[in-house]
This record gives sequence, C-alpha cells and structure tokens, in this order.
Amino acid sequence: MPGSSANQPTTSRLASILTDIHFWVPVAVLMGGLLLLRFIR
Amino acid sequence: MLPVISTTTPPAIPDVTRSKKLQLLGILSGFAAGAWLGAAEAPTKLVSIGISPMVISLIMVIGVFLARWSLPALILGTASVRADVRRAPHLVIWALLAGCLWAVANTLTIYAIRDIGLSIAFPLWNSNSLLGILWGFLFFNELRQAGWRRLAGVLGGALVMCVGATMLAIASSSGHASAAHSLNGVWAALGAGILWGTMYIPYRKAYLTGMNPLSFVTFFSFGELGMMSILSVSSLGLAPLWHELLSARSVIFWLMLGGFVWVIGDIFQQYAAKYVGISRGIPLSNSNQLWGLLWGILVFGELHGRGSSIYLEVIGGSLLMMLGVAAIAFSSATGQEQSRWKEAATRESDRYNVAADFVEARMDGRQLLGEAKPSRGVLDWLLVIAATSVFVIFAAMARVPQMSLHWGPAALLTGALFFLLITCGLSLWRTTRFN
Repeated sequence: MPGSSANQPTTSRLASILTDIHFWVPVAVLMGGLLLLRFIR
Repeated sequence: MLPVISTTTPPAIPDVTRSKKLQLLGILSGFAAGAWLGAAEAPTKLVSIGISPMVISLIMVIGVFLARWSLPALILGTASVRADVRRAPHLVIWALLAGCLWAVANTLTIYAIRDIGLSIAFPLWNSNSLLGILWGFLFFNELRQAGWRRLAGVLGGALVMCVGATMLAIASSSGHASAAHSLNGVWAALGAGILWGTMYIPYRKAYLTGMNPLSFVTFFSFGELGMMSILSVSSLGLAPLWHELLSARSVIFWLMLGGFVWVIGDIFQQYAAKYVGISRGIPLSNSNQLWGLLWGILVFGELHGRGSSIYLEVIGGSLLMMLGVAAIAFSSATGQEQSRWKEAATRESDRYNVAADFVEARMDGRQLLGEAKPSRGVLDWLLVIAATSVFVIFAAMARVPQMSLHWGPAALLTGALFFLLITCGLSLWRTTRFN
C-alpha cells in the first residue's frame, strides 16, 4: 500500500499527532469537562 | 472468507450530479438520525424504578457498545474495519477521544437536569450545534465561500432550532416539580454542550481522511464504555455499582434497547457529518428533540390534561424546529465550498501520509479501484450471535412494565422510523455501499 499511513514511522506519526491542534482542542475540552464534573460532584 | 477484489468501481471523477446526490444523502441521513436518536428515549421511559442515573447511563452504554460492534460486523464485516485502521491508524486516538467526550458530556447532563431542570438545561447543551458550526468553519473549511445566502441559512436555521428547542423543553417540563436553580447546573449544561460540540472535531477529521463511519464508531465505543465505567465506579464504588446492576436486571433490556436504537441514529448522524459536514449534519440530527417529544406526547400521554398554552408552545416550538431544519436542508454546499473541503482533506492526507486517491475515493463515497470488497467472516457472525444472545438473555429477564400506552401512535411512529431506516439505508447502500 504505497503512501499509506501504515508506512509512516511511529515516531513521525506521534509527532504529527502531538503537533496537531485537532488533537489538543478536544483534549483540553475533555480535561475541562472532567474538572467541571469533579467540581460539581 | 477470502476478501473479494473489487473491479467494478470506477476511479473518482469530479461529478456534479454525484456531488448533489451525496449532499441529498447527507441531508436524508440527518433526518433519519433525528428520528432514531429521538426514538431512543422511548424504551427508557418504560423504566420507572429508582435506579441511579449513572447506572442507567452505564447500562445504555453497554447496549451501545454491543450494537456498535455487531452492526458494523453485520453490515460490512470486521475485515473492513481492520483495513480502515491499517490505512489511518492515527484516527483510533480521535475515535477514543470522541468516545470519552461523549461519556463526560452525558454524565454532565444528568447533573444539569437534576440542578436546573430539563427546560433550562436542554437549550443550553443544544448549543453544541453552534459550536460544531464554529469548529467546522475554523478547522475544516466548512461554509467557506458558501455565499451569504447559504451561510445565513445554516446559521439562522441553527439559531431558530435553538429557539424552537427552548420552547419544546419548557413545554415538556412544565408541571414537573421545579428543580433547584443552581449555577452548577448551568455550568454542567454548558459544559455538556461544549463537550458534545467539540466531539464533532474527531468525527469530521475521520471522514475527511476517508475512514468509514462504521469503522470509526467501533473504536469510539471503547472510549465511551471505558470512560463511563471509570465515572460510574469512581462515583458509586464497585460493590454498590454491582449491587445496583443486579437489582436493575429486570429493566436492563429496556435500557440496552434504548442504547441500540440510539446507535442506529448515531450511525446515520455519522453519515450526515461525512456527506454534509458537521455544520449542517449536527443541527439536522438535533431534530431528535422533536421526535422525542412526539413519542412522549402521543405514545406516553405526557402532556395529557395540560392547558392549551402548553400545546401552543409545543406546536410553536415544533414549527420553529422544522423551519430551522428546512433552512439548513436547503443550504447544501456549493461546488466552491466543496473544493475547500477537499483542500482540508488534502491537508490531512499529507500530514498523516494517507494515500490521496484513497481519501478522494472515500470522500466521494466510493471504494478505491482494486480495494478488497467488504465481506463477512466467521468472527463477524460470532460477534452478531454474541450480541444477539446478550439481548435475548436480558429480554428473558425483563419485566413488562404496567403502563398505559397508546399503541396506534406507537405503531405510526415505529412505521415512520422503519420507513426512514429503509429509505436512507437503501440510498446509502445504492450510492456508496456504506462507504
């Protein structure tokens, strides 16, 4: 499967994920949601 | 079973007719999603014994988990799911994230309803569609170069739906004991809306990268069940949770059935997000509130004997919801906007090294030339049999509640559900083979 993500080195894929704003926005919102839940309970 | 190589599907060619067909398919999926998501409330209304809301949510999620694995196995086969993950393994992280966001949002709604009541809480978390529009615009080029008429149609439609939702929520909760107003409840409802609105970032990312909605939901369910289990155990403790589950065994079937119905709606919602984007797909599927109210009023007689002003609120709210849905449905994406979607898809395929022809074919609802045709194997049938068996076992334990139901409207609404299921399911199959 030429050019597929399966051929991308794991470190490079991880770097792509960790520098992706699409990853950090949901993570930040999830953390905020968990904190809010803790505060409410 | 050996995979069959597809030789019949032509390569993706820009085609205006097909593009319009996919837009219509997305809108139809949004309608079907609203109907099935709204109907998911019906089985849960049969449960009237005192079980903790957290346990109710957990049991529904278990039903959801079973459905999310058995339905994709039945429709496409798990080989197709594995092939999707091999092409874009990074998306598993986003599927898990989306599942976690859903579980936390769902738990927050429980506290919101407890503290401020459904009438205030529902419109607050229903604002998720507005956030979905914002994320779609910022991150995925949605509504870019859409023109003022379409932009106004989508934004105006979503706002009108929020007003309609407010009227319906006020009407549906009138007569109930008023909940203690609390700032905590407002924060919980707003938080749920933000979490649900942000959950659509992973959805859109997955579908722009070519992942099949049926593959995405299988991994989503791990995040959902994992987070829900952690929240339930941390809230109640393991032993009390187990005790509550045991004492609820006579109603587990109804709650799991609610979860199952919800999954069918959610699968349509995923296809809506794929073909019309989150800015249009999410408001359309938010029409579930209207369907939920129809079940409540017509089948369960919830507003029976109330004043005419309540009925006026219901009719007014319903008309506004329908007006908003129509405004969004008539604001489908133009060719210019769709080329901006393709730019976002190209950015994703470049970043994660996913084959561009695969992404293009999947955006067009096609299989790649030479791609293995989905087929079901022994594992798929085992999954279907196992999930069905669990449902049959709990159905045998289930107690039929003593309730007065209006069977005529129930049959009519069920007929409408199956009509939408068959119409939308057949259209998806004929146009995309569920790609």
